[in-house]
Amino acid sequence: MTLSRNKILQKNMLLYGRKNSSERILKAGIHNEPYLIINIILAGVIVLIFAYSGFFSPVKDNYPVVCLHEKLTGKPCVSCGLSHSFSLIVRGQVKEAYRWNLYGMQIFLFFAAQLVLRVAFSIFYLKYPVTQKQLIIIDCIGSGIIFLVAFWPFIANIFSTF
Amino acid sequence: MEEVKNNSGQNLGIAALITAVITFVLAVIPCVGLIAIIPGIIAIVLASVGISQAGRNNSPHGVPVAGLIIAIIASMISLSQIFVAGKIAQKADKWPNNIGNIINDVQNNVTKEIEDANVSIKVESNGNKVEINTSADKKDKEKTLDDLEGGNAQNGDTIQKQDTAKKHVVVRKKK
Repeated sequence: MTLSRNKILQKNMLLYGRKNSSERILKAGIHNEPYLIINIILAGVIVLIFAYSGFFSPVKDNYPVVCLHEKLTGKPCVSCGLSHSFSLIVRGQVKEAYRWNLYGMQIFLFFAAQLVLRVAFSIFYLKYPVTQKQLIIIDCIGSGIIFLVAFWPFIANIFSTF
Repeated sequence: MEEVKNNSGQNLGIAALITAVITFVLAVIPCVGLIAIIPGIIAIVLASVGISQAGRNNSPHGVPVAGLIIAIIASMISLSQIFVAGKIAQKADKWPNNIGNIINDVQNNVTKEIEDANVSIKVESNGNKVEINTSADKKDKEKTLDDLEGGNAQNGDTIQKQDTAKKHVVVRKKK
């Protein structure tokens, strides 16, 4: 009996707390919530990356960013062809994308996943204020692991030279 | 009375954290990792100012500290990319030097072999044929030329003095 009452109380707190907190955050303005600002800006940066990939064509080869590593050393690096690869993935030519850069697809998926996660975590942050702190911790750990998995070939490249 | 929350340094902290995260992603990509040091330094400066502002006003400084830590790590990765590029460039420099050494070795070996070789010169003039056999050694050649011209040959004289003659020069390797 006591247990069920506690559960109801907890549920009510979560529900009312959620409603009040969401309204409070929206009323006070997003500028008081650093987590939301960071999410919005990072999502914006990812959208810009996709826009860059869509705007510049692999056929015309008009990419403004060139590989500095290749210019300095004269040898292509592990991330060479990443812009081409992204452009081809955006256009749906996945097989061709693999030919330009072997790791292009996993990096692209990392950015795509991050875009979805930024939106999803922001919604959760607003909806469930009781779990805000846990949400940020999960986000940091989860994003860190995904980052390591996606960028591991590039990170390993740094260590392989030593 | 409601406590007024002081957010001094928070905006700088957010700016630093975002710059640091972008720097971090850029730093691990070798193509652009070399220039990631620039936003890395900007992020460190922003975070430092944010921390000092937050410290002065006793406001929370979690965000600028996180920005500072990520910016320092990202800058270190960027620096390591510069180091990696330097190492590769160094290796690339060594490679042509090795090729140069190989070419010099081959050249020396060939010169040594030619020195040991015998030279056979056939001269045809108005149906007359003359064949001279000599080694590639300069002294031998001078001696042969001297014998051929009856002792009137001088230093710097060559067999090509007989401009009407048709010459066939064959270099044979000594067995």
